[in-house]
Amino acid sequence: MNLFRSEEHIARWLGAKTPGATIPAQTLCDLAHAWWDTRLRPDWQPRTRDENQAILDRLGLVGPFWTLP
Amino acid sequence: MDASLLELRNRTYAAFVGLGRAPSAGELGDEDAVRGGWRQLHEAHALVLNPATDEIRMANPFSAVPTAYRVQADRRWWYANCAWDACGILAALAVDGRIESSCPDCGEPYTVEVRERVVDRPELLFHCLVPAAHWWDDIVFT
Repeated sequence: MNLFRSEEHIARWLGAKTPGATIPAQTLCDLAHAWWDTRLRPDWQPRTRDENQAILDRLGLVGPFWTLP
Repeated sequence: MDASLLELRNRTYAAFVGLGRAPSAGELGDEDAVRGGWRQLHEAHALVLNPATDEIRMANPFSAVPTAYRVQADRRWWYANCAWDACGILAALAVDGRIESSCPDCGEPYTVEVRERVVDRPELLFHCLVPAAHWWDDIVFT
């Protein structure tokens, strides 16, 4: 889960590896805030699989690649 | 997750943030009891242990070991497990901050400032190699 300068750099880094998914840095930041913002709260509770999937869905991260087990 | 495990989990995270590093089991109480609780939290994906030592490897989004993603936040430097977690440290601490890393392809260093949840380098691209269904197959690799 890395941050690259451009698509060209991702492609070169991947080489023969199967590509995953690419999103802009701002979407990553939005995802991180949705995913981690309760992490240090004293009332933290583990989220369910469906709650996690809903976070991805809300950010448009849909399809087989973003489907949690 | 039962209340005692949740309490240990919260105490572990509070200690991590308070110390600026991963706490040892002995710093949190009876060493054997804490390690036993940590193993259950590891199984629940609530933190990640180093399998060789049973010490904390990740209290996501924080990393207990140096990584390629350094985060300056809340007057401290932190290590994140990945780019997602680098933003996640700022989210968890609810602060603005700065991420320092380098392009994994060319090695050119970059800095990303995050102010009020907005990045100043929107042209950078995040690549996730492992599909979500397999993130926890090997979370350190992911």
